[in-house]
Amino acid sequence: MTALADRAARAFEAEQPRRDWVLVGLWIALVVVAVVWLAPFVFIVFTSLKSTAEVMGSSAFAPPRDPQYANYAAAWGRGRFGTTVFNSAVITIVKVPLGLMISAMAAYALACMRIPGGKLILIGVLFGTMIPFQVMLAPLFTLVNGLHLIDTYPGVILPYIAFGIPYQVFILHGFFRGIPVELNEAARIDGASHATIFLKIFLPLSLPVLAALLILDFVATWNEFAMALVLLQDRDMWTLPLGLSAFQGQFSRDYGQLNAAIVMTVLPATIVYLIFQRYFVSGLTSGAVKG
Amino acid sequence: MTPQRLMQDDRLQAVLLLGPAIVIYLVFAIYPMIDVVVLSFQKWNGLDANRQFVGVGNYVDIFTRDPVFWRAFRNTVIWTALSLIFPPLIGLLLALGLNQPIFGRNALRAAYYLPVIIAPIAVATMWRWMYDPFFGLFAQILTALGRPNWIQDWLGNKDLALYSAFAAHVWQSAGFSMVLFLAGLQGVPKTLIEAARIDGAGRWDVFRHVTLPALRTTITIVLVLAVISSLKAFDIVYGLTGGGPAQATQMLALWAFTQAMQIFDFGRGSAIAVVLLVITLSVVVPYLSWTQRREESQE
Repeated sequence: MTALADRAARAFEAEQPRRDWVLVGLWIALVVVAVVWLAPFVFIVFTSLKSTAEVMGSSAFAPPRDPQYANYAAAWGRGRFGTTVFNSAVITIVKVPLGLMISAMAAYALACMRIPGGKLILIGVLFGTMIPFQVMLAPLFTLVNGLHLIDTYPGVILPYIAFGIPYQVFILHGFFRGIPVELNEAARIDGASHATIFLKIFLPLSLPVLAALLILDFVATWNEFAMALVLLQDRDMWTLPLGLSAFQGQFSRDYGQLNAAIVMTVLPATIVYLIFQRYFVSGLTSGAVKG
Repeated sequence: MTPQRLMQDDRLQAVLLLGPAIVIYLVFAIYPMIDVVVLSFQKWNGLDANRQFVGVGNYVDIFTRDPVFWRAFRNTVIWTALSLIFPPLIGLLLALGLNQPIFGRNALRAAYYLPVIIAPIAVATMWRWMYDPFFGLFAQILTALGRPNWIQDWLGNKDLALYSAFAAHVWQSAGFSMVLFLAGLQGVPKTLIEAARIDGAGRWDVFRHVTLPALRTTITIVLVLAVISSLKAFDIVYGLTGGGPAQATQMLALWAFTQAMQIFDFGRGSAIAVVLLVITLSVVVPYLSWTQRREESQE
């Protein structure tokens, strides 16, 4: 016992100074790499405030001498940001809460009610988390076209909901399963319906998970490009990513404005992320890594 | 039935709760997946009332008469292989570093994760500008370092373009692996690490014999997700190069899209998509059965 304690103490003493030194080195390395990691953002913001002449004449790392805030106004108009931001906002605001509600209802049914073939449905849902929807762009276009929903909000919101269901049901099902069965049974004996139990007990209990999924889904929907490209062909229906892609095609030599357009596209998701950071991590990892 | 009775009927409630999700999922996710298989055996321009059945004709076409298909296939394989190495490795190193008690580690984690939340199409637009051979970031850095002769047309050179595009993908996705590894590291038993250290094990020994085995599940998940996301590679390539120059960055997902939505050969586009689907399933099905088995053994 003394020998072990002795060895532990010695290991601790020998370890202490060396460990600090390693940690300092590690910290410096991590900070340096982080600066490199963030450098593109600084470069983009600097460029967005420069005139074309200054972009060509000055160093990329030089802050703008005479900030051209007009680049933002010009890019806003040329890139039709008013239209694309509005469309992205409508689609995101409708899709995210609606999709999450539908997923939560299904997750509750699968977790807490005895449903014939429930296990099979769950596997089918899990399967959907892994299938690349890029594979289905053409038939999706055919389907939505057949329903006369091309260039409409429902035409893109419904597929978005469909492709959000697997991950959300998977995560929420896992969470609902962790809630003691007795809670549900007691409420049932008191005469509560499943709808009541779901709304009054399970939803409030799962608020942290719902918040995490809400934030993740907000960013995913806001950023979605491939499906929008296929389902929204009319310029008046374009979302923000479609607008940025077209802007790049047309005005890629207007460096200042192009970079202003990038900043305006990236900013909303960045702000949401910086405010709700911790929810991202919990949302991503609550289902993915548990063992 | 009175409304009260209605609400007491379990079967009806199950239908009401589960129904919307099932209907939307079946119509907008499962049906298109089946339809893509059907379409792959047909000739269709996307508009005609009639779809003409051509058997395996589209598959014969893409395998024997379409050099771009093989180009895209090769690029997808390269992209996937690189995706299995670089983002997970960088993510693991960052996670190991940021799992230590160091100053400002939450801010550092946030910095590394930031690119993950940016739209891939915006990342593509950013990097395309950074790769500009005249005024872009990389040209400026090399000039500042006194190596202007190292400047390349990063996206215009067909030997480089694929790797240039991949670099942008690494920047965007390493933070995602990092977060998964950080979560995995929470599951490494601290007592085991302390015990090993007391026994005189060095850092490397602890990593090899304690940390790494404990991370096995996480590593599997990160790698499977890396494969799946690289098979989906679409936005970033579309935005950076559009598949060019000379198809040097063409990928299966993008080529399937181009065939169907731009050349209006829905049959061929779908056949390419089905090939991609089969490759995906060959990764997903074993993974899912592994997950099922693991869960059952835990219960």
